[in-house]
Amino acid sequence: MTDDVMRFFATWLFTHEAADEEIKAAIRRGMSGGPEGMSGGPDAFVDGLAAMVEEEKEKLKADLAARARGEEVASEESADPALDEIRFEVAELRGRLDTMESLLETILRKVGG
Amino acid sequence: MASRSVVITGVIVGQLVGQLPAARFGLAPAHVRRAAWARGLRRSFERLGPAFIKLGQLISVRPDEFSAELVAEMQRMQDAVPPLPAEAIRAVIRSEFAAEPEDLFETFDNKPLAAASIAQVHRATLASPYRPVWGEVLPAGAEVVVKVVRPGAAESILGDVAIVRRLAERMAGTRLARRFDPVGLVDEFSSTVDRELDLRQEGRFADRFAFDFRDDARVQAPRIVWTRSTGKVLTMEFITGWRLSDLEIAREAGVDCKGLAIHGATAFMRQVFVYGRYHADLHPANIFVTPDNTIAYLDFGIVGYLTPEERMNITQVMAALIYRDPDRALRYSEKLGVHVPPEHVEPVRRGLGALLDGDVRPDGTRDFAHFGLGFLKLLGEHGVAIPSGYGLLIKSLATVEGVARALYPEIDIVETAQPFTTRILARAMGDPVRLRERMPAAVRAALRELVV
Repeated sequence: MTDDVMRFFATWLFTHEAADEEIKAAIRRGMSGGPEGMSGGPDAFVDGLAAMVEEEKEKLKADLAARARGEEVASEESADPALDEIRFEVAELRGRLDTMESLLETILRKVGG
Repeated sequence: MASRSVVITGVIVGQLVGQLPAARFGLAPAHVRRAAWARGLRRSFERLGPAFIKLGQLISVRPDEFSAELVAEMQRMQDAVPPLPAEAIRAVIRSEFAAEPEDLFETFDNKPLAAASIAQVHRATLASPYRPVWGEVLPAGAEVVVKVVRPGAAESILGDVAIVRRLAERMAGTRLARRFDPVGLVDEFSSTVDRELDLRQEGRFADRFAFDFRDDARVQAPRIVWTRSTGKVLTMEFITGWRLSDLEIAREAGVDCKGLAIHGATAFMRQVFVYGRYHADLHPANIFVTPDNTIAYLDFGIVGYLTPEERMNITQVMAALIYRDPDRALRYSEKLGVHVPPEHVEPVRRGLGALLDGDVRPDGTRDFAHFGLGFLKLLGEHGVAIPSGYGLLIKSLATVEGVARALYPEIDIVETAQPFTTRILARAMGDPVRLRERMPAAVRAALRELVV
C-alpha cells in the first residue's frame, strides 16, 4: 500500500513536471505573440491562453505577497449585475413614465386650448 | 403614386444615361463601367430624397451582396440636405407638445445645428433640472440638442418604400437579382427605416448604452431628456468635442488619441462580444473625442443585435483570425449560417488560410478590413449566401478599425482583440453545460497522453 501511494505521488510528480515544461514553453510562445510569434492554428490559442494565465498567476503572487505584508489588496469584485439590471429597468420605467406624464400634459393643453 | 414611380424611374434612367460617356457606351473595361453605373445610381439616390438616401446607406454596408464599386460609391452618399425653415420644425414641436419651444425650454435656437434626410437638429437649454435614466442629473440651463423628424419625411419615405418594394418584386428572378435578394433587402431596409422614424427607439438604445458602459468613464453617450421627447422629437445632452476630421486640434488640446483608439476598439468589441448589441452605424460623424479624454458615441439610429449563441460563435471566428486558424473560422461561421457546400470547403479553406497569412501591413500590424472583406468576397466567389447580420458585423468591425486608425494609424486591431476574445473563450470553458459536453473527450485525450 505504501509503495502504491509512493508510486501514485511519483506519477503525479512526473506528469506535473512534464506538464510544467510544456506549459512553460506555451507561455514563452504566447508571450512572444504577434503574427511572427505564433505558429497559428488551434495550438496558438492554447499558447495565448497560457500567457494570459501566467499574467494572472503573477498578479495572484503579488496579491498574496502584499497580503502577507499586511497591505490592503484591491478587490476586482463588482456590484451584483442582476441588481444593477433591476436598477436599470426601474430607471427605464421612470423614463417611460416621464414621457407619459409629458404626453398627458400635452393632451391637457390641447383640451384646454 | 403612379406619377412618383415615373419620377423615380425617370431620375434613375436619366442619371444612368448621363454616365454613358464615362462608361464609353459600354465599351470600357468592366470595373470602369461598374464605377460609372454606381456613380449614376448614387447621384439619382441623392436626388430622390430620404428613402433612397437611406437605401444607399444600407447598400454601403453590404459588401457581401453588391460590387465593390457600388459599395464605395454609396459610402460617399451625402446625407446633408438644405435645412428646413425654423418655422416648419417649430410646427412639429408645437404639434407634439401643444406648446411653443420657448415654453418647453429655457432657450431654443432657431438656427439648425445640422440637417439630414430624416431629421433636423437644433440647440436648446433646459428650463429645469432633469434626472436621466442613467447618469448624473442634467442641471437647469444645461445645453441640449433637439432632434426633430422633418415634417412629411415619414409619409414620403413609407410611400417610396412601397414603390421600391414593387420594383424589387419585379426585379426578383431577373438576371439583375442574381447576387442578392431584392425583396429581402427592401424588407430589411423597411424595418431599419421604421426604427429610425421613431426617435424613442434611438433614445432607449442610448440609455442602454450608457448603462452598459457605466463602469467605463472613458466612454459616453448623450443622456436623454424623456419629458421633452416623443416619437418625432428627441431631446438629448449636447456633447462638445472634436470629430475625427479635426484630430489635429484635439491632439494640440492634449487628447490622448492612441489611448482612445485602443479604448474605442475595445469598447466596440465589448458591445459585440459581451452585450450582443452594438452601434451599427459608426462613421466619423457619429464619434467625438472630448476635451476630458473620452469617446462619445452619437446617433444610435442603426443598431445590431446578437443572441448569446451568435455572440459566442462570433467570438470564436475572431479568435480564429487572431490565432490564424482557418478550420475554427469555418466551423463557427457555419454555425452562424454561412453554409459552404462540401465541394467548396477545401478551396474556401485554402483561400481563407491565404487571407489569414496575408493580412499583415508593411508596418507589421494586422489588417482586419483586408481579412473581413476578403472573406466575404471569397464566399461570394464560391456562391455562398451570407446572412445579413454576418455581413453587417464584419463591415462594422472593418469600420471600427478604420475609425481607430484615424485616431492612431499604428493600431493593430487584431492584437487589441486578442486578450479580449481569449478571456471570453477561457470564461466560456468553465460553463457547466460545455464542461459536461466536452469533459469525456478531454479525459480520453488526457488518458491517451498518459498511456502513450
